[in-house]
Amino acid sequence: MGDQSEVARLRRGDLNALSSLLAQYQNRLYRYLLQLVRDRANAEDLFQQTWIRVAERIQQYDPSRSFEAWLFTVARNLGYDHLRRTQPESLDQRMESNPSGTLAQRSLVAPEQGALQRLLERERATLLATALDELPVMYREVLTLRFEEEMKIHEIAVLLEVPLSTVKTRLRRGLDGLREVLSGTGLDEERGKGRVQG
Amino acid sequence: MKTSEHDEIRELLALAAAGALEAEEQGRVDRHVQVCPECATEAEDWEILARGLRRLPTPQPSLGVVERTRMRAEARMAEEAEYRWQRGVLIFLTVFAWVLTILSWPVVRLLSAGLIDLVYPGVTQGWVRFAAIATMIWLAGGAVALLPALNQQRERRAI
Repeated sequence: MGDQSEVARLRRGDLNALSSLLAQYQNRLYRYLLQLVRDRANAEDLFQQTWIRVAERIQQYDPSRSFEAWLFTVARNLGYDHLRRTQPESLDQRMESNPSGTLAQRSLVAPEQGALQRLLERERATLLATALDELPVMYREVLTLRFEEEMKIHEIAVLLEVPLSTVKTRLRRGLDGLREVLSGTGLDEERGKGRVQG
Repeated sequence: MKTSEHDEIRELLALAAAGALEAEEQGRVDRHVQVCPECATEAEDWEILARGLRRLPTPQPSLGVVERTRMRAEARMAEEAEYRWQRGVLIFLTVFAWVLTILSWPVVRLLSAGLIDLVYPGVTQGWVRFAAIATMIWLAGGAVALLPALNQQRERRAI
């Protein structure tokens, strides 16, 4: 594993290793937390808490396990604690609103494309991100881990501490839900158009 | 084409787009899609959706947040290292003090020549009494040393 030497250095108290790991995981971890809590300020706060927890408990980390899985587990536990405290209904109910709109405002950067194409891509990404926000947290989380973090199914199962079959079920239901939310939006038509053009 | 197989494969198309099928299942889906236009269309729909999800842009934390996080985590690491060092020193000193106490017993007995009996009557009559008194002294000392440590731990948790 590539970052195991960095983790070993961190366990020995090397502060440079902390900076290196933080730089390596900062975007992915932040994206995951943002998908979980859907609020930029809270995601940033949880991001800080996660790394402080890592600094506190790095001696308890088992080096035979994946550091990435451990890191995301720490973040997930903090994220779920936060959701339980602030919006307990969000853990099992459908979310109807997008309080911060942060994900919907994310921009797609594709420098090689023309301006019109970029605009269309951005529009699609906005619609998709908004639709993703509509899903319950358990489905949103699995979709993020699979498609954005590109984790393997068994890695997600380890992280969420659920069987493989549960991950697949959530993935399937998440995609179904996403398609349901998207039906009636412009993206559904775009998907049809993309198929014809493809 | 069997309808049941068609329905079964159709159920797998979303997971196929997510790359979540076993090799054998994926093979079945691929073979079916080649001969079933309806499922081919459906599979393409799922693929477009999956591609869209993979292409979602990555939001980034602000530089200020990353820098603050790094500083706070480093400070916490330094605290943890200091705490571990203090604990190690405490354990060493405790063991060392006990060894010293036990080894010095014959010397104390020899040199005091009955004087120690005035301070602790009967202490020189046996190891058991000596050990009991030494234990009480150490427990009292330990409790005094433990109180600030517990207080410090409570403060650390409160932050």
